Amino acid sequence: MRQRALAWAMFLALPLMVGAQSMSKLKPGDTIPASVKDIKMLSVTGHQLSIADVKGPKGTLVIFSCNSCPWVKAWETRIAEVGNWAQKQGIGVIMINPNDPAKNPEDSYEVMQQRAKERGFEFPYVVDATSDVARAFGATHTPEFFLFDAKGTLIYTGALDDNARNPEAVKERYVKNAIEALLAGRPVPVAQTRSIGCTIKFREKI
Amino acid sequence: MRRVIGFIGFALIASTLGNVRSEQAPRSERGAAPIIPVTAQELLTRVRDGKAQVTVVNLWATFCQPCVEEFPDLVRLEKTYRDKGVRVFFVSVDFDSELPAVRRFLQKQGVTYPTFLKAQDDDNAFITALHPEWSGALPATFIYDARGRLRHFHEGKGDFALFERLVQDVLQHPNP
Repeated sequence: MRQRALAWAMFLALPLMVGAQSMSKLKPGDTIPASVKDIKMLSVTGHQLSIADVKGPKGTLVIFSCNSCPWVKAWETRIAEVGNWAQKQGIGVIMINPNDPAKNPEDSYEVMQQRAKERGFEFPYVVDATSDVARAFGATHTPEFFLFDAKGTLIYTGALDDNARNPEAVKERYVKNAIEALLAGRPVPVAQTRSIGCTIKFREKI
Repeated sequence: MRRVIGFIGFALIASTLGNVRSEQAPRSERGAAPIIPVTAQELLTRVRDGKAQVTVVNLWATFCQPCVEEFPDLVRLEKTYRDKGVRVFFVSVDFDSELPAVRRFLQKQGVTYPTFLKAQDDDNAFITALHPEWSGALPATFIYDARGRLRHFHEGKGDFALFERLVQDVLQHPNP
């Protein structure tokens, strides 16, 4: 009887455990996952780049994004502004598309090239060809931001700002505030936020 | 005279009902079920109104493929369990500009009851109010008991068997 109750409890707990996948997401204090930091990814300019390659002297900003998500599109101009600005401050910036284009053709490499040109990304926009980089970060949706300090310790993760829909109504520029704090040697004002976004279309594991 | 008073009374009631309906359903169109904008607090107030044994809240969007794939199973769940006091609150997180697509999708799925649209701009506050462990990824499904206590949370795509199991758990164990 007790065994049956235990089995039933475990059965019911399964979805909560599935939900808990998000708990494996990197948290402030974690470091860049060693298993993926040297993985080379094809950039829209045809270069093979890893997170280690783009690491900046003052820190590194890793962005998981894509071409197809309405949330990304709503934020895209601001992503370009913050990414381009951060790079000029000595922060290495890399934007990674982990989506399987077989699941949405809008996430193809060609569209990435086009989008980078249209939006003026001055930082690398690369393909996570196995989605393993996203898996290692525990990224679940696009867009998601991970800011590391110069030692490679995560100091901020979450959304770009507090209003995807309306740039005029933004009150908190989470990523920019965190970078400014990092550059000034202050603790980041907010270390973790969340936003709604599009579920990552992971490539199947072979 | 009595007939006139009766008519005035009827007109007043009809007018009041009309006002209530228009307040509750600002997004409705003729013949379509209303889509009601809600903040997280407004949604939770509805969840806690004590009108159902189980309330399933599903956060979805037309642009979210897994949401679209699991949607028919939730529609089926509502149909199967509505007589047992189970209701499903579909909450779209689509942008306002996508409302026509939301409405078309709901009609195609045969959803004839009111649904909701996330109205709060601050996603972080909305997510935190619903569940501190929700990453913000879609779909996300929350299952509450009659007292409005969150009993189950599932992030990612589910299916009928999963949702049925969770709903049955709450029906069978209303006071764990």
